[in-house]
Amino acid sequence: MKIRAVVVLVGIGLLLAARPIVAHHAFAAEFDADKPVKLTGPVTKFEWTNPHGWIYIDVKDETGKVVNWGFELAGASGLMRQGWTRFSLKAGDVVTIEGTRAKNGSNNANAATVIVASTGEKLFAGNNQGQ
Amino acid sequence: MKRSFTVVVSAAIVAALSSSLSAQWPLRPQPGVPKGTNGKPNLTAPAPRKPDGKPDLSGIWMRTNRTEAPGSQPAGQPPLATFGNIGLGFKEGLPFQPWVADLLKKRANAYDNPDALCLPQGPLEYHLDPQPREIIQLPQKTVIVYESNYGIRTIYTDGRPLPPQGGPQPYWHGYSVGRWDGDTLVVTSNNFRGALTGQPGDGWLDGKGDPFTDALTLTERFRRVNFGKLQIDVTIDDSKAYTRPFTVRVEQEIVADGSEMIEFICHENQKFLQLTGRAPAP
Repeated sequence: MKIRAVVVLVGIGLLLAARPIVAHHAFAAEFDADKPVKLTGPVTKFEWTNPHGWIYIDVKDETGKVVNWGFELAGASGLMRQGWTRFSLKAGDVVTIEGTRAKNGSNNANAATVIVASTGEKLFAGNNQGQ
Repeated sequence: MKRSFTVVVSAAIVAALSSSLSAQWPLRPQPGVPKGTNGKPNLTAPAPRKPDGKPDLSGIWMRTNRTEAPGSQPAGQPPLATFGNIGLGFKEGLPFQPWVADLLKKRANAYDNPDALCLPQGPLEYHLDPQPREIIQLPQKTVIVYESNYGIRTIYTDGRPLPPQGGPQPYWHGYSVGRWDGDTLVVTSNNFRGALTGQPGDGWLDGKGDPFTDALTLTERFRRVNFGKLQIDVTIDDSKAYTRPFTVRVEQEIVADGSEMIEFICHENQKFLQLTGRAPAP
């Protein structure tokens, strides 16, 4: 995948109440609740968009090969209400993301939490199961 | 679940965030919010009124997240609906016509949920979406702008009659006329697109796909209980999909903290079709 380095600025210091916010999409159609994932790697791209934001990170698999993973967040409007801004992450920030893998087996998942490695800060991702 | 905008941020974190908060959409306190002696919004103050004496429903409203166990609603009150399941409060479930069982099986994968497809949501999805909606009450019409999927709905209050079913072109939002019954705005709507069109996204009342058809006559009774609370009792009368009419309640709370509607362009970065295998990955 071609990696576009987007996004600007600073990591942040916020801890947000874990409340589902934007229940936009049909979670069960896209993600398998029985397939949790927890992955760590540097951010390659941060899409501050609707109906969902996306974080892409590079992850080394068991053979050492780097694989790019995408994590779905709440939409930008919902993330704003959670305290995120479009500057909340930048390319190169190392994050650990816990979430739920896509049903189609692709390297995509729905993010529940995002932890910034350098600070330990935890960003709630706006898991959209809260319907 | 959440109350509107109940984000908990510690003071230290707010301080740490000050530079990035300044980049966010600014707060702009809503005018006319009654204040208590402590200076905070008094949400239990009486509902405001228009010059004609009618309650003013205008404002930005968030759904509440209160739920009830099935059958536990107070006597004489309709059960609360939820975004995912408007029939949650019915012990025996909704009174479906027999054919609906097969439709619900097809809809179990949620592929055709209009919300997921960035199409206009069904009337109760719009009322119950976690994103806010703004009611703008004008003399001849009331307009509701829904942040989710950017729905815009017009309710005519100029005295025109409801058109005959099958008259106007079916609308996603139906054709709506309103009249006042005391302090309650009674909105009646028909001429909806419905599930029987077979088009993806048509005829969804909630996240699980409880349907409506083009036979739907929808009655919504909007009552602003006080400054902070809006109650909408919604009656579904659709003999093609249900054996009898039924009524559910929606509760919403006013947004009075100065936050506003936020742009939400649903097709900006839509990946639902890719993730469900119906569009190629880029």
